[in-house]
Amino acid sequence: MQTVSNVRSVQSSRLRLLVQFLGSMRLAVSLLVLLAIASIIGTILSQQQPYDNYQLQFGSFWFQVYRELGLYNVYRTLWYTGIVAFLVLSTATCVTRNTPRMLRDMRALPVRQRHAAIRAQDHFLSMDAPASAEAMAARLASLLRTAGFRPRLERDGSDFYVAARKGRFHRLGYFLTHLAIILICAAALYNADIPVKWAEWTGTLKPANNFDLPLSEIPRSAWMPLHNPAYRGIITLPEGQTANAVFALAGDGYLVQPLPFRIHLRSFHVRYYSTGMPSDFVSDVVLYSPSGKVLKSGIIRVNHPMSYDGVEIYQSSFSDGGSLLHLQSYVLGMPALHPGMLSGRVGQTLQAGNSGYAVQLKNFSLYNVMPRAAVGEKPDPKNPMVNLGPSYTYIVHDPHGGAAEFKTYFSPISRDGQGYFVQGYRQALGDPYHYVYLPVGPNGGISLFLNYLAALQVAAHGGAQASPAIFQEIFAMLAARVAPNMSSVEQDHFVQASLNALQQMRDYPAPFLLHLQSFDHRWAAGLQVTKWPGTVPIYWGCVALVLGIFILFYLPQRRVWARVENQDDGCRLELGASADRNKREFAREFAAWERALQAPPGKDGTTLHC
Amino acid sequence: MAKSMESWAEGLPSEFQQRSLKEILRQEAAWVLGLTAVAIFILARWRADFGYWQYVVLVSWYVGLLLAGIAWRPLQWATVASVLPALGAVWLYAHGQTPANNVVLHYVLQGVAAALWMSALLLLSTGAYLVSVFTGSAAIGRWATRLTWAGVIFGFIGLGVRWRETYLGHASWGHIPVSNLWEVFVLFCATTPLFYLYYEQKAQNRSLGAFVMPLVAAAVGFLLWLTLAQHMDQVEPLIPALQSFWMKLHVPMMFVGYANFTIASLIGVAYLLRDWSVRRGGVLAARLPDAELMDDVMYRAIALGFLFFTVATILGAVWAARAWGGFWSWDPKETWALIVWLNYAGYLHARVVKGWRGRSMAWWSFLSLWVVSFCFLGVNMFLSGLHSYGKL
Repeated sequence: MQTVSNVRSVQSSRLRLLVQFLGSMRLAVSLLVLLAIASIIGTILSQQQPYDNYQLQFGSFWFQVYRELGLYNVYRTLWYTGIVAFLVLSTATCVTRNTPRMLRDMRALPVRQRHAAIRAQDHFLSMDAPASAEAMAARLASLLRTAGFRPRLERDGSDFYVAARKGRFHRLGYFLTHLAIILICAAALYNADIPVKWAEWTGTLKPANNFDLPLSEIPRSAWMPLHNPAYRGIITLPEGQTANAVFALAGDGYLVQPLPFRIHLRSFHVRYYSTGMPSDFVSDVVLYSPSGKVLKSGIIRVNHPMSYDGVEIYQSSFSDGGSLLHLQSYVLGMPALHPGMLSGRVGQTLQAGNSGYAVQLKNFSLYNVMPRAAVGEKPDPKNPMVNLGPSYTYIVHDPHGGAAEFKTYFSPISRDGQGYFVQGYRQALGDPYHYVYLPVGPNGGISLFLNYLAALQVAAHGGAQASPAIFQEIFAMLAARVAPNMSSVEQDHFVQASLNALQQMRDYPAPFLLHLQSFDHRWAAGLQVTKWPGTVPIYWGCVALVLGIFILFYLPQRRVWARVENQDDGCRLELGASADRNKREFAREFAAWERALQAPPGKDGTTLHC
Repeated sequence: MAKSMESWAEGLPSEFQQRSLKEILRQEAAWVLGLTAVAIFILARWRADFGYWQYVVLVSWYVGLLLAGIAWRPLQWATVASVLPALGAVWLYAHGQTPANNVVLHYVLQGVAAALWMSALLLLSTGAYLVSVFTGSAAIGRWATRLTWAGVIFGFIGLGVRWRETYLGHASWGHIPVSNLWEVFVLFCATTPLFYLYYEQKAQNRSLGAFVMPLVAAAVGFLLWLTLAQHMDQVEPLIPALQSFWMKLHVPMMFVGYANFTIASLIGVAYLLRDWSVRRGGVLAARLPDAELMDDVMYRAIALGFLFFTVATILGAVWAARAWGGFWSWDPKETWALIVWLNYAGYLHARVVKGWRGRSMAWWSFLSLWVVSFCFLGVNMFLSGLHSYGKL
């Protein structure tokens, strides 16, 4: 029996130690600071980038180490969640341990207090006075009332007890703040798709890595259940299209979340201020049930989401939704009389005839608003930005596996009376663009320049020596044929501009030029779809948190106990008081009480100040 | 039972007497009636345009100003002194006056001019505080306080007038002037001295100004650089993400937090220097208030800042839920706000529950300045994210 009880007491003392440790303030403060430090990591390292970027940045060794530590998505790692969970546990222990004491504290104040308890208060006064105990008690009560207390008196024979308190519900502040933290963290953990994390961890859910698959071909193992309680996903939806699933990034892959409805994007547009800055992004959306019934329709703008059945749809980004581009292709060095035609949508890859070259249409931007200084125009403080109009980017893959990226502006820009088409090219993604300024002929377009280029090459093959006179002469011959109205000044300008362009094109990485003839623009809207049933508890938690902090700081508890004993020649007052916040202020207040009580009473019960 | 402010009922000085509601209403009648009249006027004049939120805003301002004015009387006349000139400027603008044809608007009342006046006055007051702490001159100290008040009032005049100016010319551009770096620096430079003045009066000691105001002066210097070299004082339209009702609440509350945290940190510096001066001997020990008082003011500033910072962060989260689809996205600014919050939660627990005082807490408060500054400025300068519109 004895050993059993010993084991029990050892166990219970171990448990007590554990509870003591979990509920200790030292642990709480350490956890707060630790969490703060751990949080810094995710702000220094940009989170949820493609893994290739990290590999490039850190090299393969550190890339591996950081991946194992989960630094690419810190706030969703097991260890970070663990710290939060530990903080919640510590807070919960603290609340549980302190509850009985605090409830006791909030109960009605006992009026009678022992001598020792009165003396043990932070502030204590003991004085003898020539008044009766009753008069002294009345005077103290009156003073306390003036100070905003509601004192209670009790008579014990010829002695009196006085007790008063302010801020009875100060302890409520403690409960509200700490329960709020538990509630907020619990709701946040729930919203952070714990079930999905669990399924991922056990292997029933496996993120897909191939970002090019159509929805129907994504393996079922990457699909989350339709009735997932909480999720957050994005979808890029081109105008006129419909989707019934969204994507959530997970590690270097993604998961698919099916939706209980279909989202149809009727149209998307960007509104602009007069400066060219966008003023709003607007999607016109219809929600359909799986059977095709219209559930809801309306517009979604930034700061104005659409809500349906607990699911929120937000305007989060936009991009090109597969604009149709009609391109003319000119082979360099051939007269530009019969350009080839290429047509395709952004996102497609086109074969350039039977040359073996492939053209991948990468992007199309309807507007290019940039500072005037960036394009060499005079600054204008009233109107600092300039719109260069539409541009498109494409990648040319040559038959040998090389590639180069091109960015071309649709509208020409004008310099000193001569128009230019601007085209940039680069051979590596990180490089800046090299710009080529192709002069516009009097009939618009770049055919005059290309014809001139072809004529120069023919002359060079014919053995002509390069000299300014030859350049002028060849152009004069060409101009007489195709642009007879050009003045000689214009011709000079054009020749000079063409020679500059030739210089700029020395390393041009493709044997042909693409020129955008027309386009049919189509936007795609980036919509974020979330279902967060834990939001309401979080809001209530926040209300409790703020209320609790206010109570803790501004409604401090102040308690006063006094005992007045009748004596032969008067009475003896023992007064004790404590405050649990703003102690300094209370010390001054207590000193004022002391002075007031010790001063001789005036005629009308008030005292005179000396 | 009517008492004057100096009455000594039951032998207690008035500061320790609790005023009944009736007494408060009687003593603060001008403030209560004036504010109520203004609120009723606003309701009568614009109720037709009021939505749900306008009622919330009106009630918040009414209750907030009423209580703050009662708790701290100087705020009453300071409010009047900022609002009347700002309304005057609005009236001038409404009657076809512009800075180009009106001298008062051009040199005094237009947003940028008032901000420059604020800058000049705050720089002067910083100088005066420094001189007064080293010479011990009480007269210069009084002037320092007056100059600070004048600077604060000009700051709020500037913000009020600029609010109107954002609507001039382009009605669709209008917004509360807390949307770019220039505007928030004006807000910071006006708010921090205002709260400092509150603590100065509560502590009955001007020497802390010599520690708080130099940082304000540095912020003024940055503001002047933004104005004169970067021309960031131009009114610009808002990007779509900022066009939200929530900005009106989130940003100003955040700056109440920043202002109080800044003041607490600088009092921490004063505390440490006083401590050093006590050990080494020096003038500071005699001029600065006693250590316990500084410790107390530091705690009060952090407590008030923490309350507002918590509310502001929550409002930011609610806004994020409206604009970005999730109330918490681990955006760098959000994360740093959390770090600041955790840091001060740690401070408050250590002080209130563990009873830590003195040098270690002064160091904690001082070092927190770096955390707060990084949250305020560093995130926008060095990190990218959803708050990156505040860039230089």
